[in-house]
Amino acid sequence: MLLPADQPGVVAPFDDVTIELCRSNPDVMIMTADLQPYVDIFRVPKERPKQFLDVGMAEQNLLSIGAGISKAGFIPIATTFACYASRRAFDQMVICMGTGPRTCVVIGFTPGITSPARIHHQSTEDLAMTRAVPHATVIDPVDATEFTQAVRASVRQPGLVYMRGLRGTVSRLLDPEKYVFEVGKTYCLRDGGGPGIIATGAGTEWAIEVSRLLEGAGIDHALLHVPTLKPARQEEIWRFCAGRSRVFTIENHNIVGGLGGLVAEVMADHGGGPRLTRLGVPDHWAPGGSLGYIRQSLGLDAESLARRIKEAA
Amino acid sequence: MKGRNLSITELEHLALKMRRNVIDICMQRGGYAGQGVALADLGASLYFHEMRPDGKGWYHDVFVNSNGHDAIMCYSAFAEQGLYTMDELRTYNADGTDVDMSPCEGRRGFVITMGSLGQGPSQAAGIAYGERVRGSDKRVYCLLSDGELQEGNVWEAAMFAGHHKLDNLVFLIDNNDLQAGGNTRNILNVEPVPEKFEAFGFKARRVNGNSIPEILDAFAEARSTKGKPYAMVCDTKLFQGSPYMQTRFPTAHFVQTDMETWKAGLAELEGLIAASHADAE
Repeated sequence: MLLPADQPGVVAPFDDVTIELCRSNPDVMIMTADLQPYVDIFRVPKERPKQFLDVGMAEQNLLSIGAGISKAGFIPIATTFACYASRRAFDQMVICMGTGPRTCVVIGFTPGITSPARIHHQSTEDLAMTRAVPHATVIDPVDATEFTQAVRASVRQPGLVYMRGLRGTVSRLLDPEKYVFEVGKTYCLRDGGGPGIIATGAGTEWAIEVSRLLEGAGIDHALLHVPTLKPARQEEIWRFCAGRSRVFTIENHNIVGGLGGLVAEVMADHGGGPRLTRLGVPDHWAPGGSLGYIRQSLGLDAESLARRIKEAA
Repeated sequence: MKGRNLSITELEHLALKMRRNVIDICMQRGGYAGQGVALADLGASLYFHEMRPDGKGWYHDVFVNSNGHDAIMCYSAFAEQGLYTMDELRTYNADGTDVDMSPCEGRRGFVITMGSLGQGPSQAAGIAYGERVRGSDKRVYCLLSDGELQEGNVWEAAMFAGHHKLDNLVFLIDNNDLQAGGNTRNILNVEPVPEKFEAFGFKARRVNGNSIPEILDAFAEARSTKGKPYAMVCDTKLFQGSPYMQTRFPTAHFVQTDMETWKAGLAELEGLIAASHADAE
């Protein structure tokens, strides 16, 4: 299902999927808090104005108004930056959107270290926070193919859905003709012996770069993509880990509480397993700047990651 | 369920019965009795006069209670409607009960998860906005407290409701000058409340929250107000309408006391109900 390297990116896939959803379902309401063009919402306000609501610069209101909208029979897709959706309005997300059966979708853009503005615009704890909410669905998509399909799936998912959003020119890694996103499912992007790499979101893109480097160096390995952090199919993760001596997780998130946390929990629940190395944002604040610079500073560039895995292999 | 358009005398009688229910429920294991008693007149006016039945056993209009502990007022009305039995309601504050002191979404009669203060007004505004987009004539009522006005989310909701001219939305503010830690005016003064809401684009009015005629008049004004949401600022006093309990507990956020005291409070209300019944006859 992986496409060959260097595919052209997809421009503003969120705009495509939101107008498609609004055209096919009059109950979908696209919401934002003063970030309409910054989260790639372009056509819905013009073509379907009744299905667009900008609440102004008020993220607590975005999520609590959104919860009210859902109680009037709509399916809100509330968009803002991941840092605000999680840190700033977490109580509203949990209490207003997360305690009932109605579908409420929250999409947090520029997640993890993909914002250049240090700390306040970055979100390296959102997956840990939302993963701890009972019955929530938590998705970190890797590319335009998966993001588009996950947004389509989210409006059919009961209760709170928290998803990380991708904006601008978004990488195309998965073949839209072959890839089918399913909530909870894990995807083996490369089968093999040796070290296992488990990744999610942008971490999977980094892991694919690493995988190509390892392949070039003749190092056998396997790669599992886990877009749904919750509900996670723990047995699939365990089956991937079992029998290996080393497993690495790669994620665009603090190594605490996200994918690394999930895999550690799966192994602990099974009473052991391979040695786990969690790669991601170490438990301190990431620098600001370009993504390339931040990745390099944190040892998350492809070469550094590949070196860590080679040393262990 | 009782229909609409009860007379003021009938509503006052119902409010007395609701007060009695509050004491009966809270005397089992303690509860937010003072708020429940004080809100009986507003609750009777809302549940038995203002909100329109849907013909299917519930309401066409929507009531969002933001303030978890004020659920006791709802329960006291639900006993009169038959939504809950008094036997069920007497499990309030018991381990394992479904009669939550601060209910969550999906509990019988409740629309939102209450009690994380400041979040009801936005949800009510969201419902009002959604219903208007749908072309529905549903009206949405949200009860919140004066202490809750200190939460920023309330004013985000007010700004939204005023901007969108949600004239199907009514905020009911239980303005009792009390919050968990003491008098609201001393902790963080919220007055002047009507003027604040007016500044956010509401039509606002201060009423005696224990005068059913004043409450009904304000509800009528809210219904006839076009292009603006409405804020009814209900000045209330804890335990208003239950003189014995009011003397004993003038500022008690939560009441837990001996059975003798509860029984005296209950007996006083039974007497008032009997007298009110005799008056009505």
